[in-house]
Amino acid sequence: MTTATATAASRRRRSRSVLPTISTWVYIAISALIVLPPVVWIVSTSLKPEADTIKFPPEWIPSPISFDNYIGLLTPTNIRFFVNSLIYAGGSIVLALAICIPAAYVATRYRSRRMETLMTGILVLSMVPAIVVFIALYSMFVKTALINTYPMLIVVYTAIICGQSILFLRNFIENISVGIEEAAAIDGCTRLQILWHIIIPLIRPGIAAIAIFIFVFVWNDYLVGTVLATTEDMKTVQNGIVRYITTGFGNFWGLFSAFIIVAFVPVLTIFVAFQRWFIAGLTSGGVKG
Amino acid sequence: MSIASSPRTQAPEAPPTSKVEVIRRRREDRRVWLYVLPVSAVFLFVFIGPLFYTAWTALHETKYYQIGEFSGLNSFVELLSDPNLPNSIRTTLVFSLGALIIALPAGLLSAIVLNSLHRFKRSVRSLFLLTWLMSQATVGTIWLWFLNPNFGPATAITTSLGFGPTDVFSSPTTALLAVTLITAWWSYPQAMLLFLGALQTIPEELRESLKVDGGGLWHDFVNITLPFLRNTIVSVVVVLLMLYVQMVTIILVTTRGGPLRATETLSMRVFNQTFNDFNLSGASATAILLFTLNLVLTLAVIRFRRKESL
Repeated sequence: MTTATATAASRRRRSRSVLPTISTWVYIAISALIVLPPVVWIVSTSLKPEADTIKFPPEWIPSPISFDNYIGLLTPTNIRFFVNSLIYAGGSIVLALAICIPAAYVATRYRSRRMETLMTGILVLSMVPAIVVFIALYSMFVKTALINTYPMLIVVYTAIICGQSILFLRNFIENISVGIEEAAAIDGCTRLQILWHIIIPLIRPGIAAIAIFIFVFVWNDYLVGTVLATTEDMKTVQNGIVRYITTGFGNFWGLFSAFIIVAFVPVLTIFVAFQRWFIAGLTSGGVKG
Repeated sequence: MSIASSPRTQAPEAPPTSKVEVIRRRREDRRVWLYVLPVSAVFLFVFIGPLFYTAWTALHETKYYQIGEFSGLNSFVELLSDPNLPNSIRTTLVFSLGALIIALPAGLLSAIVLNSLHRFKRSVRSLFLLTWLMSQATVGTIWLWFLNPNFGPATAITTSLGFGPTDVFSSPTTALLAVTLITAWWSYPQAMLLFLGALQTIPEELRESLKVDGGGLWHDFVNITLPFLRNTIVSVVVVLLMLYVQMVTIILVTTRGGPLRATETLSMRVFNQTFNDFNLSGASATAILLFTLNLVLTLAVIRFRRKESL
């Protein structure tokens, strides 16, 4: 960016525009140098033929370019990881919305001291370190048939993101004028009808942001799959990534890199397509990583 | 649940108009509790039950995952007399504060830079957010590969400069340093997003009025931005600290708490005691210590949420 265009863009800062602009772009360049190398390295590795991945000194630009690693990913185990993650994410979105929307609604509209206490309790509990809860859940259910099932993991994922989802949805519901609901109530709408026909259509952007947030959370989570899914056929995409490092033998770096790229594509696509909602969901709290 | 059946204590005042009466009557309605019942049930199952179970196991002998005889506070005595505990606490502090010291200024600076941009805002924001979009497992493993002592590009650079290969994960000090830096690398956008939200609420007139006085860039920052962000800074500190205290995944995929327990934070210790040592009562005692530490941070974050409705 030249200083001339910068001045045009921020005419307000005429006199001091040169120095801040330069330092801004120096900062951005340094950030790029810190953020990008590992990412570029993974992309590069994923496009190399197997033998080239362990060449030393390493080459940044793969030549020849090969897509063998991506084709090599198509194994039943890997596909299972992706299907599992999709089931966990989809199930958690449905369950979380089904239980959080009603809760957020009554918590916003029917305030009482008792309700506030319950909501604070939910918020406090949802900040309990995940590992504390997981080891207890693991040791409670390791002997039962509940561990290692889709419903069990979906309920756990849902519980972890519930606190934030309710908090976020409440902000949306608070912005809706009570007048509409009063009018509907006088016309004889029941509470459920008000929620279904008035509230839900009005908070659709909030619901979308929450759904995106839940998808990314579940898709990126490693710990639940590690602790509560004990057999290979129930593990998640993230377990699939780490599996190359922990159990891989021989030269697995090409496949590993391709797997990381493929696992990152859904998140990246959602980010690019719904950037605004995505960021809204991210800023909703984001205490859980 | 008991809440659903308990009588209400708040007596409503006599409603004057019919419209208000409708709303009042709805407020009294006990059926609102049906709407929070599913959430409460899920929390009972996933949080409250396991927390009681953790306390219960901490008070008993355990062998593998079988709970044995009641042992009182034995596991806590064991925990506090464990020579590894001070080391674990020290590691937790170094890791959390270290990552915080890097991620907080990086997040603030990135937010300020992003906020001052007029062109390429979207691209720069994507660049700054990139690491946060990646999963913790991805972040840990790509750094493992980047820093690989045999084939990684980092090694190529350090060897060409005359240093040895980047075998950072095999020595205690460098392993802790690496894990801390990687965590900061991954998490600084979280701070940035929170700061960005707050920066956008600074009224432009405030800046303009100081411009007339002829304040410099630094003057601007110290006199407007920092005071305005004071509350946000405190809440970002708490949010990040909670994130770091709970961190398991990045440490687990890179070092598993090693070498020589150098990267074993309290969270990692809970994991290792459960899955490596099969010492469930020990793990539960550590978990309760971790829970207490986290509760303090949680109460702080809720206080600040209330204050500025973040």
